[in-house]
Amino acid sequence: MTATGDLARQKGRSGPSPAVVPVLIFAPCLIVYLVLFVWPQLSLLTTSAFDKGQLSGVHYVRFLGDEYYWELLGRTLLLGVCVTLITLVLGVPVAYVLARMQSRMAALLLILTTFPLLVSAVVRSFGWMVLFFRDGIVSNTLQALGLVDHPLQLMYTLTGVIIALAQVLLPLMVLTLHGVFKSIDPDLEFAAMSLGASPPLALCLVTLRLARSGIVAGSLLVFSLAISAFATPGLVGGARANVMATAIYEQTIEMLDWPFASTLATVLLVFVLALSLLYGAALDRRAKSESVA
Amino acid sequence: MTIDPRSPFGLLLTAICIIAFAYLILPILVVVVAPLGDTGYLAFPPKGFTLRWYAAALDDTRYLSGFLTSLQIGGAVALLSTIIGVLAAYGLSRYDFPGRSLIEALFLSPLILPTLVLAVSLSLFFTRTGLLTGTGRLVLAHIIVCTPYVIRVTLPVLRRFDRTLEEAAQNLGASPIQSFFLILLPVIKTGIIAGCVMAFITSFDEVVLALFLASPGEPTLPVIIYSAVQLGFEPTVAAVSGLLVILTCVFMVLYQILGVARQD
Repeated sequence: MTATGDLARQKGRSGPSPAVVPVLIFAPCLIVYLVLFVWPQLSLLTTSAFDKGQLSGVHYVRFLGDEYYWELLGRTLLLGVCVTLITLVLGVPVAYVLARMQSRMAALLLILTTFPLLVSAVVRSFGWMVLFFRDGIVSNTLQALGLVDHPLQLMYTLTGVIIALAQVLLPLMVLTLHGVFKSIDPDLEFAAMSLGASPPLALCLVTLRLARSGIVAGSLLVFSLAISAFATPGLVGGARANVMATAIYEQTIEMLDWPFASTLATVLLVFVLALSLLYGAALDRRAKSESVA
Repeated sequence: MTIDPRSPFGLLLTAICIIAFAYLILPILVVVVAPLGDTGYLAFPPKGFTLRWYAAALDDTRYLSGFLTSLQIGGAVALLSTIIGVLAAYGLSRYDFPGRSLIEALFLSPLILPTLVLAVSLSLFFTRTGLLTGTGRLVLAHIIVCTPYVIRVTLPVLRRFDRTLEEAAQNLGASPIQSFFLILLPVIKTGIIAGCVMAFITSFDEVVLALFLASPGEPTLPVIIYSAVQLGFEPTVAAVSGLLVILTCVFMVLYQILGVARQD
């Protein structure tokens, strides 16, 4: 007891502490991460880069040489772009209105925004499937409005996946942008308007400009989650609207082709890592512009 | 509000907000309401009214055992990742050493890694090493996903914590361990609870790792729902999903009420 007591007593002091205590504090987390995170990730990379025990690019050549996989990648990126655009169009106004609301209503609406995040993506996608069904309400409404002249099939199409996935990711966009708009002083908007700018112009020139890097960061976040989402494309898209994520699942679980599954996963990972580097840069720019202001 | 809500631009903003919230809530409302229909197939809006499907959902032991499996895994994951995560966050907030920011980046990095990529690499890892079997694999996998959330929630709270409070307690004769439990823990409690709840919900709702790693004999509830939905639109599955939504709703209201009570 005295020994551990002594160790612990020194821990509280600001002076040099024996290296043992921090090591003990970090050990559980470090071990878990090294064994279950770093090692598996490295073996994913090596699995994709080896063939019959030899370093080889054969799996990547297979990916790059097959038009099917180019299409797959293109469809995945298209999904990411469309989902990001929808979440921006809806997310920017909602986040702005919530950030400028004074009443208790704002807190309530913020909770309402968070709520879908607590419901499993499987359940939310299921809801969309019911809505998308051949005689579903979406198809009937569009027909009643005269926008389409035949029953619209959204199930098992990329359009359906886009609509469903944008709903799954919209809360994240709103929450990210809410923080950004909250940090922008509304007096700046008043100033612009009192100098003669119309409200929409004031918002574009002042608020959206200041929020620019935050908007970029939110978009990159949604984009990288959209291209790697699995549950929604798997359920709403099925085999007919295949994307990278569902192809990776097929290769792993159904084909048991580990090297190629690893290759596809690595390609996806490269895209996501590149985006998160950009995301970090966008946040840095934001931090810098704030410190200048 | 800087914009007059009655101006055309204000009305446009309001309209977009109404559309956005309808869009957010609609699919969730559907799974709650659709199984109330009396038609035998899922339709929205539902026709007729029956509680038959909800009763069937509660009666089906398959869903119940899935629910219990998810509950157990979520509980284990929440507990373990909270312990690991709070320890790591404590270390990161207290010690300054070369490479600390690197360690912090490592601990938070699973947040940017797609769960799907982690699922592939962990399946590969567990298959090759033969480490653990069954539910243990999924618990470990979820710990990797949930620990970063715990660290991210508790780290700012720990950094804000005024260390002179602890020093004062120790000057008054408290041992470091006493001051940890009597001073530090109560102050950062809210952060720890938030991290723990987040870890639990993440694990409970998670389906990708569960699809790859859950033992076939003991699927979690999201996996059961996922597989059932793929096979067909059974009203019972919708009722199970509906029950989950209602449960989440109750949980969230309770959490808000308790949270508000704590702040007062």
